[in-house]
Amino acid sequence: MREEIRKIQALMEAAEYVTDAPVATSVHLALNLRKPLLIEGHAGVGKTEVAKVMARMLETNLIRLQCYEGLDAAAALYEWNYQKQLLHIKLHETAHRAVDQEEHEIFSEPFLLKRPLLQAITQEQSPVLLVDEVDRADEEFEAFMLEIFSDWQVTIPEIGTIKATHPPHVILTSNRTRELSDALRRRCLYLWIDYPGFEKEVAIVERKVPGINARLAREVGRFMESLRRVRLAKVPGVAETLDWATALAGLHADHLDETLVTETLGCVLKDADDIKRFRAEVSKGGLSPFLQASS
Amino acid sequence: MADRSLTRAVVRFATLLRRQSLPITPRQAIDAARGLEHLDLGDRQEVYVGLRTLLVTRPEEVAIFDRCFEAFWRMRTEADAVAEALAGPSPPGEAPEPPVDSQGARKERLELEGWGDEEEADEGGEPLGVPVASEAEALVTRDFSTFSADQLDELLRLTVQIARRLARRVSRRRRPVRRRGRLDLRRTLRANLTRGEIIELRYRQRKRRKVRLVLLCDVSGSMDLYSRFLLQFLFALQHVFARVETFTFSVHLTRVTDYLRARSYREVLRRLQDVRDWSGGTRIGESLAEFNRRWTHLVDRRTIVILLSDGWDTGDPEVLATELLRIKRRAGRVIWLNPLLGNPSYQPLTRGMAAALPLVDHFAAAHNLAALRELADRLHL
Repeated sequence: MREEIRKIQALMEAAEYVTDAPVATSVHLALNLRKPLLIEGHAGVGKTEVAKVMARMLETNLIRLQCYEGLDAAAALYEWNYQKQLLHIKLHETAHRAVDQEEHEIFSEPFLLKRPLLQAITQEQSPVLLVDEVDRADEEFEAFMLEIFSDWQVTIPEIGTIKATHPPHVILTSNRTRELSDALRRRCLYLWIDYPGFEKEVAIVERKVPGINARLAREVGRFMESLRRVRLAKVPGVAETLDWATALAGLHADHLDETLVTETLGCVLKDADDIKRFRAEVSKGGLSPFLQASS
Repeated sequence: MADRSLTRAVVRFATLLRRQSLPITPRQAIDAARGLEHLDLGDRQEVYVGLRTLLVTRPEEVAIFDRCFEAFWRMRTEADAVAEALAGPSPPGEAPEPPVDSQGARKERLELEGWGDEEEADEGGEPLGVPVASEAEALVTRDFSTFSADQLDELLRLTVQIARRLARRVSRRRRPVRRRGRLDLRRTLRANLTRGEIIELRYRQRKRRKVRLVLLCDVSGSMDLYSRFLLQFLFALQHVFARVETFTFSVHLTRVTDYLRARSYREVLRRLQDVRDWSGGTRIGESLAEFNRRWTHLVDRRTIVILLSDGWDTGDPEVLATELLRIKRRAGRVIWLNPLLGNPSYQPLTRGMAAALPLVDHFAAAHNLAALRELADRLHL
């Protein structure tokens, strides 16, 4: 393994993120090739976390652009503070100043609202730009983003062109609620984060829930592993595992039993049908099939 | 600058991937070569993970990539003859065109191909949206099972109409309008810059937005009479309307969106020959389950899901109901088109149909053009 990748892995571990070779390699390549990294995976597998950890690791700012339906350039890039401009004009109405001077003044930086994308290109040090849940934005916005990513410069008619001196490191995450365009995909490095394997999940639990009983941690890991093999409507992610483990640790549990699991099930299963199905399974065969190692 | 032999290896690997239908762009290939400089070439796993990050763009592609990587790695350590052999067979897309009357072709395939010929014949220019001279009422009410291929123009015209209707869904984005709507400060200020006073107000309103269509088309034996028409319908829809995903099912589900993207109908038919179990039995429930497992991300509130099936289901009706409910929860609307509904004596009593009916927003016939026209009126969300 390349020394840099090992170092990234160590740094990510130090930043409280249990990682593996694919994640570290992708981050390494994204940093070195200076390309956006598109991360896909089920809900709650720690996609967003990669960006946060990266920022901590590089000791730089994390700028987050949360996507939603209807997100447009004004909300993502910049907008003039119109209310403030109007007030300014009103306040100086009696001063009888020259029109172009007035105009020059109200279209200057103090009146500019910098949104995440503009913030990201006006930093002193390359920040990490997290474009979260890009699948929620619409296709028009994707195209707009591609334009920004291609040369990291923005033209504001009243001010001029702003070019990034320190282009950001970009992480995009997607839950696949919508298929992203090929154009976007082809411009990004791609990482699929799957549910962690047993060992990794136990490691994550032990790292994130300090003071958890070792036996309990392993049982939780086993349970989640077998639970994900059952066909569920809402498969629990690592976020659920951690919530649950924290809850169990809070109850001072040292192992799993049927009552405990049934009582705390809401941390893990979040769909009425799934809960019903799971209850039926447990009443039939007990909890033990869920705690056995996979074949 | 990357090592030359390394660059060549990457280029050859990219070619191999392209032949296996992963559309690797030159940019990606260049990045892959650059990426290798940052990887430990002695560590196979690392090279694998790195190249996967660089060249794969969606999870569905991983399996193909894995196969190619495996083959390529082997090939690099063995003689180059293996490489040639591996790169040799041409992909299905480039296969020589089979003769129209190839022996051993199944009945419906022959029929479909014959149909394709006619389509090809008048394919001089823009095949869609061309108005036709007139349309006899008889044509409109005639059952598709008695339809001949030369009346397809009307069908195409209707499809265009349907697609236009689909294009009228309101979006959260706003567009400028003359009056009414929310005040648009940005444009208001711009418009009044020279006046010193806000005189003229500008507004904006929600933009209309396009809906997505997901078509699930039953191609089992019982639908045979209608499937050639339906296929044409799917093809036409996909051409006028970009946001369509099309699947066919009988015992299994197949995504045929990419097949239907071909320019000519004939080519579509050729490609569709790869689709197995055309005209077999039906297991709608299981097919929908497969759809829900692999393709749910295509369905959201702005999606209209259209099922084309007669409801003759040999699977478990309970599975059908569960899976259909799952789709209904996500989709904007679920429409079931049943060609048998055109028959006045028909009652939706098949077990599958009975299970599905309460879950469907709109249940309609799809046996003639009049029925399709009615459908067009139903298609705005």
